[in-house]
Amino acid sequence: MNGTLAWVGLLARLVTGGVWLVAGALKITQPDASINAVRAYQLLPSSLAEAVGLALPGVEVVIGLALVLGVFTRGAAVLSALLFTAFIIGIASVWARGIEIDCGCFGGGGADPGASSAYPWEIARDAALLAASLLVVWVRRTRLALDSVLFEPRATGAAQGDGN
Amino acid sequence: MASNSKANARAEKAAAERAAQAKREARRRFLTIGGVVLAMLLIVGGAIIASVVQNNKNNAKIADAASGRSDYGVTIGPDDAPHKVVIYEDFLCPFCGELEKRTRDDLARLAADGKVQVEYRPFDLLSQLGDYPIRAASAFSVVLEESGPKVAKEFHDLLFENQPSEQDPGSVTNDDLVDLAVEAGATEADVADAIRNVSNEDWVTEATAEAQKAGVTSTPTIVLDGDVFTDGRTIDDQAENLIAALD
Repeated sequence: MNGTLAWVGLLARLVTGGVWLVAGALKITQPDASINAVRAYQLLPSSLAEAVGLALPGVEVVIGLALVLGVFTRGAAVLSALLFTAFIIGIASVWARGIEIDCGCFGGGGADPGASSAYPWEIARDAALLAASLLVVWVRRTRLALDSVLFEPRATGAAQGDGN
Repeated sequence: MASNSKANARAEKAAAERAAQAKREARRRFLTIGGVVLAMLLIVGGAIIASVVQNNKNNAKIADAASGRSDYGVTIGPDDAPHKVVIYEDFLCPFCGELEKRTRDDLARLAADGKVQVEYRPFDLLSQLGDYPIRAASAFSVVLEESGPKVAKEFHDLLFENQPSEQDPGSVTNDDLVDLAVEAGATEADVADAIRNVSNEDWVTEATAEAQKAGVTSTPTIVLDGDVFTDGRTIDDQAENLIAALD
């Protein structure tokens, strides 16, 4: 049972991490568009929107890398879950206020008439990814994670007293 | 007795070795965590720095483009006004319409008082939604050529007052554009044919190329005294802050 869960955890890590990597990489080269996308939500004061727009792509890439490689897996998954929660709130809030924007999830962003028809699906997608992130948090130990190589205490050593 | 102390010494030695081992382990752990954290910070930090640099470069480009007078715009207010505002806009863009609604009267008043010079630079950003941005900007340039800047500014205002929705950009027809131009003060015979035939499409293409070259990627883009003005959470806040900065 635990074995299966660890494999499911790996799958969740790869899917979520892959999405982060793609989303971050598509935006990282276009800070303008990224800032505009954040601004279009009309949730944050301008200077903060700029900071978020500049930082978010880099953060997304790092979370993606961490999840895919399995480094600091749990921390990355917690952060990932928090961000997806924020995105869901953001999209729900523009939907509720009747603002029609491209969510800017994978680049782009800004006003986009008719975008509200995409909101339910975007929220569903983010909810699914949120669930996958929470699964990784819950499972703790997933398969093929670098964490186990990096942080597992070396089994050799004191017991054998290798004489070095 | 002797064997006892020997055993003690062995136990002590083993304990010391275990402690050293634990210390090595802790050190290795510390270095690994430090290394990974450092790599993460480098990626995020590098990305942010690169973005800021690129963003500044782009803003400088916009500011540079806004410092001179464009051939593709209409200006109100004196040249020696203490503030200069350039507004890049698309006739279809709803935020531009909102900005217009919130700032037009105040900007006109401030320009008349000599406190600001405002240059409106319409271009085509949204023609993927319909040809209205091209038709409207072409009509604007026809009026500018035929009837002068005063009428063109009036026409520009009327275009925003009668802005079609992004869902139905075709609801304002070329005939409507002619009517608005006449309402703004143009002589129908001068402008009607050119507006109906979208004769100045080239002007729109050039104006759009100029805006793109300046690095304008969204509308409205407001440039106040050489800096891209983004102060405010919503477009209404921005409008209010802009007027406050000028008054």
